[in-house]
Amino acid sequence: MPSNREEKLQNRIRRLRFDNGEMTQQDLAERVAVTRQTIIALEAGKYVPSLLLGFRLAAAFGVRVEDVFQYEGGSSK
Amino acid sequence: MPALQKFAWFNLAVIAWTVVAILLLLPFLGKGALGGFGFIGLLGLGPLFFRRRPGQVLADERDALIGTRSLIAAYSVFWVVFVLAAVFLTAVVYGEDGAVPVTVVRVSVGAGFILVHALASIAMLVQYAGGSKDAE
Repeated sequence: MPSNREEKLQNRIRRLRFDNGEMTQQDLAERVAVTRQTIIALEAGKYVPSLLLGFRLAAAFGVRVEDVFQYEGGSSK
Repeated sequence: MPALQKFAWFNLAVIAWTVVAILLLLPFLGKGALGGFGFIGLLGLGPLFFRRRPGQVLADERDALIGTRSLIAAYSVFWVVFVLAAVFLTAVVYGEDGAVPVTVVRVSVGAGFILVHALASIAMLVQYAGGSKDAE
């Protein structure tokens, strides 16, 4: 049974960009084939990406998906 | 600005121009002012915003999601308005045994088209402005 607790998907995209040679939003957008506005929305937590885009982002940084995204809350119990 | 956002602004501009043109022409041309609906044809230029340019991403999954949601919202509202107008408004205006003039039916088609495109465009702009939290 799902709980009423709010689910959140946080990400470290901004941090990872800076850790990867201060990659610009445009550079990252081109690498993962999205618009820069989508990267902005992702970093602002205004958009939750598809699983496929999540994996593409992780691949762009050379890390695992769970290093990019952190799931919080909403556990069923 | 994403191509879809430009497309939405363009649609709203064309729709606004069409409505203004019809309203301005109405006192002079009467029913002939309905020819102003022809300006809606400018919407056909919309796909030009999606011309492919090398190395540029014109639209991605978020744009697709925003577009889909906007159309669903627009058609949902349109359907409610259409049903209310067809079932109740016609009866109120023309009476239970009345007849709806052909011109009114023609205008309704144009108005419905305008309503759907205007609502969809507004919904797109609202989502781009506020961000769409959920994804599929």
